Amino acid sequence: MKFSEAWRLSGKVYKEVTFQSIFSLRAGSGLPQRGKMDIKQLVNSARTSTLISKLITTVFIGVFGSTVFLPLTVASVSPRELTIMGSVSAFLAVVLFLIAFMGLQVSTSFVSSKAIDVLNPLPLSKRDISNIVFLCFIRIFDLPLTAAVGVFLVVYFLVGGSVLGGLISIVAIVATEIFALTLTINSAKFFYSRVRGGGGKSAWQTFLRFVFTFFWILPTFIAYLLISFSGEVVQAFASLTQNFVSILQFLVLIYPFSFGFLVSYATYLRVVDYSILGLSVASTILYLAVAYYCLRWVTRTVRNLGAGAIVKVSKELVKDTIIRPQIPWLGIIRKDLRVASRAPSYASLFLLPAMQTVILAISFSSITDVGLSAALGILTGISMITLLLPPTLLSIEGLASAYTRSLPMKKRTLISAKTLLSTVTYVISLVVLSIVAVYAGRDFSFVLTFGTIHTFAIAAAVMLELTILTDKFWKEGFAVGNIYSRLSTYVLIFIPGFAVVLVPMIVAVVTFFLAKQLYLTAFLATALAEFTLMTAVVVREK
Amino acid sequence: MENSAVRVEGLTVSYGPFVAVDDISFTVRNGEIYGLLGPNGAGKTSTIKVLVGVLDPRSGKVEIFNTPITDEAAAKSQIGYVPEEVVLLDSLTPREFFEFVASIRKLEPSVVNPRLERFSSAFELKQYFDTPIAALSMGNKQKVAIVAALMHEPKLLVLDEPLVGLDARSSKILKELITFHAKKGGAVIFSTHIMEVAEKLCTKVGIINKGKIVREGTVDELRRLVKSAEGSLEDIFLKVTEQEAGMQDVIRALEEE
Repeated sequence: MKFSEAWRLSGKVYKEVTFQSIFSLRAGSGLPQRGKMDIKQLVNSARTSTLISKLITTVFIGVFGSTVFLPLTVASVSPRELTIMGSVSAFLAVVLFLIAFMGLQVSTSFVSSKAIDVLNPLPLSKRDISNIVFLCFIRIFDLPLTAAVGVFLVVYFLVGGSVLGGLISIVAIVATEIFALTLTINSAKFFYSRVRGGGGKSAWQTFLRFVFTFFWILPTFIAYLLISFSGEVVQAFASLTQNFVSILQFLVLIYPFSFGFLVSYATYLRVVDYSILGLSVASTILYLAVAYYCLRWVTRTVRNLGAGAIVKVSKELVKDTIIRPQIPWLGIIRKDLRVASRAPSYASLFLLPAMQTVILAISFSSITDVGLSAALGILTGISMITLLLPPTLLSIEGLASAYTRSLPMKKRTLISAKTLLSTVTYVISLVVLSIVAVYAGRDFSFVLTFGTIHTFAIAAAVMLELTILTDKFWKEGFAVGNIYSRLSTYVLIFIPGFAVVLVPMIVAVVTFFLAKQLYLTAFLATALAEFTLMTAVVVREK
Repeated sequence: MENSAVRVEGLTVSYGPFVAVDDISFTVRNGEIYGLLGPNGAGKTSTIKVLVGVLDPRSGKVEIFNTPITDEAAAKSQIGYVPEEVVLLDSLTPREFFEFVASIRKLEPSVVNPRLERFSSAFELKQYFDTPIAALSMGNKQKVAIVAALMHEPKLLVLDEPLVGLDARSSKILKELITFHAKKGGAVIFSTHIMEVAEKLCTKVGIINKGKIVREGTVDELRRLVKSAEGSLEDIFLKVTEQEAGMQDVIRALEEE
């Protein structure tokens, strides 16, 4: 089959994948409406929604990509060779993280959409089907993959890059994208083997699955750490390597610094040390070989994924049929944790607040005086990540909703369960921060006091998000779709939630300037008022 | 009506401009097995989805044991439902799935566990208790849905094509369970395309076509209505759904090719 024909057919399958990922039909959701015109509208809205989400990811790449090059815009920064090495390395880490993270969300729906089912009965050879499925997978990432190269080249040439450096950068970014896809496919494969083959009824096994999932997604979090500290990382390279050539010799062996160093050399063509240049070239060639191997692995695995070939069914010896029902909200929480323990896309979001806390804790340990502004800043950071959880938790209800909606489940029970789970995640973040503070010997009273009070505002914000979402999706059958494909909807839900989180902080700051002795009381009163109001709203939900 | 299990009045379901169910009314009494029959796209599943609270009607009134379906939790707690397309929480094992359903239905372990043991043995599901649902065959998934529908011993069973994918043994057991449930005073709404099954099992049949109930009654009453004393339910069905007329021509045309 000609490439053009395969590409055209992959477009048809891609259309089906986006539709499925938005409305989760094969996962048991129902269509909100039907009728020829409505179906057309739904198909279009699915395509638009996916496109918007791709654009948002592209914007993220653009923004983060530009940020890591900021130190180079300062004329006094020196040495420029090492700074550009840091910038390029950080950019590659950003691309790795964003594409791998996006892939975690999307590859799951790619697999569950069973794209291959549409093609299997057609008179196509296995090879043709494999090619079409692979091209369909590439279509999911087309904009971000292209944007990563485009954004880099624009920013790189703006800060004075060379043609040779640009060419090496393209190779480096393509290799990074392959690494990101490898990571994401590995996670999807792991997820599938867990779901299809892994049973396990005990809480310990559920915990172990979380630990496994954590290790799979750890590389993306390391990249996330690099993003969060990109500025510091770039500066650290510059100061560290300036004095210690031996560190640089070690660093150029590690991805993404080997690429970073080579681009830096190609930009200024100034040789610091021939041995370092040699090591950089050698390690780059090695990474390119790994990338080539990964590319072959990715193409082979995606084709198998599409064919649903990654199935490892293991039967366990069943001793009894005993079940232990809980009260409804606890039953929902347990179900959510079990589903998340087998799905990296859900598990990663549970782990995100904890990772964010670690990052904040590192920043926090370098702050000697934790006053009001620092405390509020830290809490804003944790809140933002916590507020991503409710839509994710609710999207779990999209699975099998055509069945689960026939159960006598009340909206308020659902909202309460998910509020509790999200709020507990926030509290865990606070506890981690406290431990770091004790370890670092910092006065943590501000953050702890404000954080504890702020829990009420967090719970209120979560309840608001969930109330909006359940009102919107309850009758549609929770076809919330995955985060990536419904990013635009999630952003709209996030805004009012974030406003609720911010209001007590604003009130506290304003009161601080008007009547200093009352600012804590004002903070508490506002947070409690929000919590009471939202509790009253939720209690009325049937 | 005191002993009515289900009362449907003027039910209309639409999807955008498309009207799937058009102003239908029917009643199912305790002890009745009501067969809802109709060609593909007639509106059976849409009707059933409204009865179990999965779908909102455009208009009309539905009561389950005198509880309006708008009082969702109260109405749903009396229903055991097996959907047409069995899509369950695939990443869970049957044990985890039953635990979730039992939690939502507030079932006591001492009550639910003996039932679960009984039903799992009957449907030979025990060996798959800790296997993820995603890895089960269609028939075993169907069994999981059936056991989940039975475990709270509901007064009303709503079964949308429940025999699809079941092996002969499980099919026989389910049919016996349905009959026993009705004998005990429970009610069953049952949709199927297998006319022989409907004929043997149902105490009352409603034939739905193009969103309307075109005939209703016992199989004997329907025979009298269509003046076909010898005809099977299939013949009656084809007659009242106006599919009989051109069918011979279609078959002949296919054979000629």
